[in-house]
Amino acid sequence: MVEYTKKIQETAKRLLTEKKVDAVIGYRRGTLPMMNEPVLIKEAEKTDQLYWDSFCGVNLANYLPKRKEKLAIVAKGCDSRNIIIDIQEGQIKREQLYIIGAPCTGMVDRRKVWTRLGGKEPFAVEESKDQIVATGNAFKETLALADLLQDNCLICQHRNPVLYDELIAEALPEQKEVDPYEDVRAVEAMDAEARWQYFEELTRTCIRCYACRNACPLCYCPTCFVDESKPQWLGKSLDPTDVRTFHFLRAFHCAGRCTDCGACERACPVGIKVRQFTKKLNRDVLDLYQFESGLVLEGRPPLDVYRPDDPENFIK
Amino acid sequence: MIEKILSKDELSSWLKDLGKSFEVYGPVAQGDQHLFAPLSEYDPDFTFQNTRLSPKGLVQPASERMFHFSVDPENPEAHILKEEPPKTQSCIVAGIRPCDARAYDLARINFITSDYIDPFWKQGRDRLTLMGLGCNQPCSTCFCTSVGGGPFDTAGLDLLMTDVGEGYLIRSCNEKGEGLLQKAPGKTATEKEQKQADQIKREAEAAITAKISTENLKDQPLMDLFNAPFWDEVQFACINCGTCTFFCPTCWCFDIQDEVHGNEGIRMRNWDSCMFPLFTLHGTGHNPRAEKVQRVRQRFMHKMKYYVDKYGNGVACVGCGRCVQFCPVNIDIRRVAQLMNDYKA
Amino acid sequence: MSDPFEPKIIAFLCNWCSYGGADLAGVSRLQYPPNIRVVRIPCSGRLDPKFILASFRRGADGVWVSGCHPGDCHYIAGNYYARRKFALLKGLLEHMGIEPGRLHFSWVSSAEATKFQEVVTSVTTAVKALGPAKHYIKQMPEGA
Repeated sequence: MVEYTKKIQETAKRLLTEKKVDAVIGYRRGTLPMMNEPVLIKEAEKTDQLYWDSFCGVNLANYLPKRKEKLAIVAKGCDSRNIIIDIQEGQIKREQLYIIGAPCTGMVDRRKVWTRLGGKEPFAVEESKDQIVATGNAFKETLALADLLQDNCLICQHRNPVLYDELIAEALPEQKEVDPYEDVRAVEAMDAEARWQYFEELTRTCIRCYACRNACPLCYCPTCFVDESKPQWLGKSLDPTDVRTFHFLRAFHCAGRCTDCGACERACPVGIKVRQFTKKLNRDVLDLYQFESGLVLEGRPPLDVYRPDDPENFIK
Repeated sequence: MIEKILSKDELSSWLKDLGKSFEVYGPVAQGDQHLFAPLSEYDPDFTFQNTRLSPKGLVQPASERMFHFSVDPENPEAHILKEEPPKTQSCIVAGIRPCDARAYDLARINFITSDYIDPFWKQGRDRLTLMGLGCNQPCSTCFCTSVGGGPFDTAGLDLLMTDVGEGYLIRSCNEKGEGLLQKAPGKTATEKEQKQADQIKREAEAAITAKISTENLKDQPLMDLFNAPFWDEVQFACINCGTCTFFCPTCWCFDIQDEVHGNEGIRMRNWDSCMFPLFTLHGTGHNPRAEKVQRVRQRFMHKMKYYVDKYGNGVACVGCGRCVQFCPVNIDIRRVAQLMNDYKA
Repeated sequence: MSDPFEPKIIAFLCNWCSYGGADLAGVSRLQYPPNIRVVRIPCSGRLDPKFILASFRRGADGVWVSGCHPGDCHYIAGNYYARRKFALLKGLLEHMGIEPGRLHFSWVSSAEATKFQEVVTSVTTAVKALGPAKHYIKQMPEGA
């Protein structure tokens, strides 16, 4: 996808020159391999900073809530779905946005690259078409992008932006033959004790940095429940019950809203698979209410509406 | 100073032996990361580059009990805070990187002052013996050499190990280290082996290409930096998570909390982060750092300016590169330091 | 011989129906197990998931939430919204290892004293069968 870079720069330059927008939100090339930094560009002369490759996993919709100016924003499929949610939830207005859609072949999980390289540190990673070349101290390895994608990208069914003002590349065929909830079913097949232990192990290394929460475009509450003190819902230490409460409630706040963009899991500095919480909810929302979040501007999210005949076989 | 050569087997038997009188910590592989854990429970893996979390938790744990108390009305001593028993178990931290060891020295200035000595930090630190492991292959994000350290810097260490291939050359850095090393197995290092270790050190130092510039920081007018326009650009990407501060070996901020269950309670302190809005929230509801830009600025100003001015001890950074590596949105302290250092109002 | 296990069950009852049902059951002298601790809430829609978590965290062996029958909500649709929230909440709690049988939901009107009695009995039996809560109980943090 590196070839998008030029097109993004041109589009941004044009929009800023023609004063269609006040600023452009995109990525600029990171200071280390496999990382790019979200950036706000206000001047046409600076649009050459904009960059694109398969390491643009940060969800840019995270930078929209409460902004006042007119913005262009580069959006992958998932980002565009979160933009829809931001609009639906009153965090930004459609008229404020010019969405530069980027059909996405999937973002690379740098942890998978590290694993493939067996602990050798890459000093440079260059992408070309469907592979990356990682070079480091006395090694040079070529790896196929398809083997390195984030777990959520492997099962993504909305690679093309669903809302945009302009597409910078031809729409891609969607991945139809994926089974998004295999892992959810695997956990469901366990007995309660095994499930408890599974999540206990999953969150064991949590340091409560809240990167998962803060990377999430859905998390914009002025005061998060973890910071509430009257009452204090959970303690502040690394006590496992508190850690579990945090992860549970963080996920539950995303119920019916999560687009499985993977920003949470990508951001986790200790590699916790936090999507194991949200995916269960996504699957249930789909099964029970036939709803996938962020696909259409019209309508309300599933927990903001009801049907008289909603399933209630769990109620006595 | 003594220098000894220990084979890898000799080192592990020595560590086992030390385990009889010390709690020995070392780098342990867990999943895709390393962390410092007691070697009485885990096997060490010295082939790591850097532990994901720094060993600062050995001195200042993420959650640390300070006091306990009772709220039982029947208890005549109710509501009296009682100190937790002091930490007296001596520990050896085997394989600590020189940068992480130096970080304790930077934090010491905060916890041990002429006015006040933090007893918890002091106990935590005094019981440690640091058996460092030099970095033969520094990470690309390491910049210890430009903040006063080095991959084989002995400043904060009692002992320094150099991996010389078939074994370790271990050098004592002070009397404490010498006392320990005298009883260690292995042979006195030959001149050839010393030369080999020196060569490894030189190569490692040369391999560190990442740099930060700090020379102008102390002369920069504080308010100029505080009001500099670049903060707006620096802060944009920040999501205000605590990764940088929790991973940082020199970030020492904590938050004191009481927890009461039934009639018993404890007062503990937990790592806190200047990235969090709650960090500065006043009881009145006012928050002097309510905006993200203020919080981001605080972190860098503290490390690169306030600390520099207050202690005259250089920057509050040891160049371990953890925040650079693990910031989810690639905010790079090297870049910010450059902006601060080069800034002209 | 040790005493048989008597679970503690937190019952969140809607003011307009199930709470009235409990009252009627009492006035009618219907017998039911004494294991519930009632918390009156203004509507099942008011039930914040945090209340359920807080109950388990403080050692409740079971939680039971009861509101008005669909269509009967005093606030028109509070229970309809609640129903969606409960379905997802129960699913996720059980997914992460809280045993099915610890968390219960019901619709009980203020006229259904007998149903109230039946549900308390069945909830208590189910929780009793599971034994004391093993997980998700907040204890004093270990710290270092």
